[in-house]
Amino acid sequence: MGRIINIIKDFSLVGKISLIALVIILIIAIFAPYLSKYPHDKPVASPLKSPTKEHILGTDDLGIDLWAQIIHGARISLIVGLGTALIAGVGGSTIGILAGYFGGFIDKFLMRLADVMIVLPELPTMIVLGVFFGSSIYNIIIVLSLFSWIKPARIVRSKTLSIKEENFIKIAQIYGAKFHYITIKHIMPYIFPLILISFIKLINRAIIAEASLSFLGLGDPTSKSWGLILNYAINFSGIYFTPYWKWWVLSPLIAITITVVSIAIIGREFEKIFKLKI
Amino acid sequence: MLNRKGILMGNKNILIISFILILSLLAGCGQDNIQANEKLNKNNDNLVIRLEGGDWGYPTPFLHYRRGPGAYKMKLIFDSLLEKDEKGLIPWLAKEWEIKNDGKEYIFKLNKNIKWHDGNKLTADDVKFTFEYYKAHPPVWNNLIVNGKNIIENVDIIDDYTIKFIVNEKNATYLERVGTMPIIPKHIWENVKDPLKFYREEAVIGCGPYKLTNYSREQGIYKFKAFENYWGPKQKVDVIEFVPVSDPILAFEKGDIDTLMASPDILNRYENNEGFKVTKNKPFWGYRLIFNMDNRPELKDKSLRKVFAYGINRDELVQKVARGAGIVASMGYLPKAHKWYNPDIKKYNFDIEKARKLINGKEYSFKLLIGNSPKEVKIAELIKLSLSKVGINIEVKSVDNKTRDGLVKKGDFELAIIGHGGWGRDPDLLRDMYYSSETMESNSPASGSLPGFYNEKINELALLQMKQLNFDERKETIYKLQEVIAQEVPQIPLFNTIGYFVFRPLKYDGWMYTYDHHYPEHCKLSYLERK
Amino acid sequence: MNKPIIGKALEYIITFFIILTLNFMVPRLMPGDPFTFLSNDEVGVSFTFTEEEIKKYKDYYGLNKPITTQYVDYLKNTLSGYLGYSIFYNDEVLNIITERITWTISLVFISTLISAFSGSLLGSISAYYRHRKIDKVLYFFFVSISQIPPFLIGLLILYYFGAYLKLFPLSGGITPFMEYNSYWHKIIDLAYHFILPALTLSFVNIGNFYLVSRNSVIEILSKDYITTAKAKALKKRRIVFVHALRNAIFPIVTRIFLSFGTVIGGAVLIENVFNYPGLGLLMKEAVFYRDYPLIQGIFTIMALFVLTMNLLSDLINKKLDPRLS
Repeated sequence: MGRIINIIKDFSLVGKISLIALVIILIIAIFAPYLSKYPHDKPVASPLKSPTKEHILGTDDLGIDLWAQIIHGARISLIVGLGTALIAGVGGSTIGILAGYFGGFIDKFLMRLADVMIVLPELPTMIVLGVFFGSSIYNIIIVLSLFSWIKPARIVRSKTLSIKEENFIKIAQIYGAKFHYITIKHIMPYIFPLILISFIKLINRAIIAEASLSFLGLGDPTSKSWGLILNYAINFSGIYFTPYWKWWVLSPLIAITITVVSIAIIGREFEKIFKLKI
Repeated sequence: MLNRKGILMGNKNILIISFILILSLLAGCGQDNIQANEKLNKNNDNLVIRLEGGDWGYPTPFLHYRRGPGAYKMKLIFDSLLEKDEKGLIPWLAKEWEIKNDGKEYIFKLNKNIKWHDGNKLTADDVKFTFEYYKAHPPVWNNLIVNGKNIIENVDIIDDYTIKFIVNEKNATYLERVGTMPIIPKHIWENVKDPLKFYREEAVIGCGPYKLTNYSREQGIYKFKAFENYWGPKQKVDVIEFVPVSDPILAFEKGDIDTLMASPDILNRYENNEGFKVTKNKPFWGYRLIFNMDNRPELKDKSLRKVFAYGINRDELVQKVARGAGIVASMGYLPKAHKWYNPDIKKYNFDIEKARKLINGKEYSFKLLIGNSPKEVKIAELIKLSLSKVGINIEVKSVDNKTRDGLVKKGDFELAIIGHGGWGRDPDLLRDMYYSSETMESNSPASGSLPGFYNEKINELALLQMKQLNFDERKETIYKLQEVIAQEVPQIPLFNTIGYFVFRPLKYDGWMYTYDHHYPEHCKLSYLERK
Repeated sequence: MNKPIIGKALEYIITFFIILTLNFMVPRLMPGDPFTFLSNDEVGVSFTFTEEEIKKYKDYYGLNKPITTQYVDYLKNTLSGYLGYSIFYNDEVLNIITERITWTISLVFISTLISAFSGSLLGSISAYYRHRKIDKVLYFFFVSISQIPPFLIGLLILYYFGAYLKLFPLSGGITPFMEYNSYWHKIIDLAYHFILPALTLSFVNIGNFYLVSRNSVIEILSKDYITTAKAKALKKRRIVFVHALRNAIFPIVTRIFLSFGTVIGGAVLIENVFNYPGLGLLMKEAVFYRDYPLIQGIFTIMALFVLTMNLLSDLINKKLDPRLS
């Protein structure tokens, strides 16, 4: 933990701003129910009201408060992002370590699997799987994870391969250290930064992919992520010829953009710093 | 203002010019005016109408797609014995007809001098051939199947221009069924073994007012040209072009297309504007909530169904989901603008107190299956909210549309919402929908979707109306039928949408609505001269 | 030398085989069938199939056979180049795909070239001005742009250039019903429709190319021979664009080939935004209608394409970088 704080101190100004933005978004997501006096799923005012003091982002076509929707949407989008990153990051790293450490058949098998996944055109397959699994938010996380583990797996594998040849690991093996001991004690410290960076990238990928699926009308209509709010707004016939887009389209759009851009910048900052230190 | 032809036809340094234009326009001289009367064609001999396209299949009776407006493109090419106008069926290829032998024989007298697009003459032989061919190879839009059987028993040629159909039974809907089938030329189709693979140019030779001169599947474009030797009324529109559109409103404002289905929120751009005219479409498209009484037998109780009828605020659905562009549907199913609509049936206005009384303190919970269109999701959200106040807990399950259709058809649901058109058709659709039979007998989407529902009286009336050839008698039965349906509440018709049809009257003003369809672009008479 | 190539080829064949199998299974597991049409949208009608028709069509399309037979048939057909017969479109899948594929492929190739070229150029500029303002601005810009979902960029571009400025057509790949005086006109017309989607799609990858080339140029600039070159007092600009970029070309080329998978995904979205008549639009429709043969066909073609590109990148890697073999 202390290490991470030190790293953060090395962030550039833009990096620090991004971090602050992200922390704010996280806080908003966590405390969403307390930050709005209106429910996110019930009409409370007349439809399509422009922003006022009462409804700072206005209302949508059913009269649901948009600020409530956006802060609740932050939850959904972040759950999708973090959930996918966690599953794919942990799964991918494990696969990578296994493949790199044991080599041989396991390696061949896992890497072949990765090859297959990488050749499948991602979005089309997600469309098909999304329809197949049904579009609940958990299914979306699973589908996204299925497609996201390959990169971390490959990176971790090649790093493990190179560390495995180091003398201290050889010595530990001679002294009878088991796989999990070596992994935790010796390999993890080296691959942790890689995993961290992949994790950050995965969050973004997932948020974007979910928004794209929602855009194609394949999201989970019952949990309103930012992508879905945007999809509804865009699908409102003739929205650009009405004043409604100014709050209804822009607010989820800005929310998505701020989030993914700040996560991306934080990822880059980590990358920069680790490169210098590793 | 630039139009795209200007750019294209211009000289070869076009890229440079457009580049400069980009730069200059980026500098801020973009303009945002509506092009109302661009390119007035009124006095021009060659009137070209452009409509929203998209690929809906090769317009033969067999190859247009099952979904979407492909069927109406096919009908521009192929005429049928009868046609429809604002009031009802009118003579078309057949100039007169007679029903004999207690409704078992139909005799049609054909117009003479009807020419196919390739110059051959249409005779009774072609008509006979058509119906026999349809028996072996059912077309996509097949009206000839009732109770799972083809209704035509025999077709006899009396002379070159008189033809007699012998049908299997007396039925009030047969005239329309026989009369609206597109007639195909014998000399072309007699050698076609598999119409599903018949993509040749001859496949679109018909005797209708328009010839297909251009079709591209991947671009979704069609071009129809008026057929110069057409037997019937002169075409007012010389060329109909269907072009691809990404956003209809943008395309309409830019002048790429000439008509638009507008939502109420943008109507103010066109109302009170001389360049535009707005008409209301007929409310023959709608959503309904269906019950699966097989899966949830408690729904067999009429009073529980009535709880839904009173507990759902259908007016709110119209206001919020349709943005006011709709009407609350009639509980007797036939919408208000329908020729046979009975205005005196029981209405179920939103009434929470009545609903509470009917449910009598009990609590229920149901799963509601919906598709994933934003509108359906909104309907479901609102229904859920208002029913929760009555004591019915709704769990919304949203799946992809096709999945929903599949589940509904399999009967794998408790409650479901579906939206579709065709609410203005012949009232025999009531039989199709409410008659409790096991078979899926027609290819109308409405058919057989009320699992577990059975009502003796409705069955009786539904069968009775079918046999009544006398207009007044049948009307009475249909009225009665709606009355009983409204009392039984076998399903809940939610609301019917009223689209706003916007067009540029200075360019073309001939749009009309047939009595049973909601959309003028689909009506053949919209493009022809009227008396 | 030959053995690894055979091994590699074998690996690719196995991969392709697995994909074919997945490809066979997934659409069939999807809920809903191609024969039911209960709902429709507001302009149009729908005709669902009667039981009798369904039976007839299932026989016609071979969907009544046992699943194993269908699988064997499918493999046989696919390997012999027959992709099946589309249920919804009533035509051979291969015909339908060939109509569309040129649109998608040209979109994918040209936008990849655009993004590779401009991305690496800007990347080198960034590296050249490292730690200066221009580098920081470019860096920030591309890190951000590579994160914005392509369909949003597409919508923005469509509304601004197409609708607001009215400079470009809003949809389609070619002006309908146009009669051309010459090839030249046709090409201009195609290009005219092509610009917006291609521009949008270029944004999908430009950030990647920018970062790759920036990194490799920076890395190379720190190497010895560059120091030598500097010592020889060669101009810095020359060093960057001649020596460094030449060496950086290798990761960029690899990246080009590996990016096709992502770009095809982007193309699916963007074709939907611009109503561009490619495979992406078709794909969405095929899924919507549960047209199994068509879904399978599109997938097979897309997978084959990506697989070929990966193979090419492997081969080029070996050629360009002898250390790998």
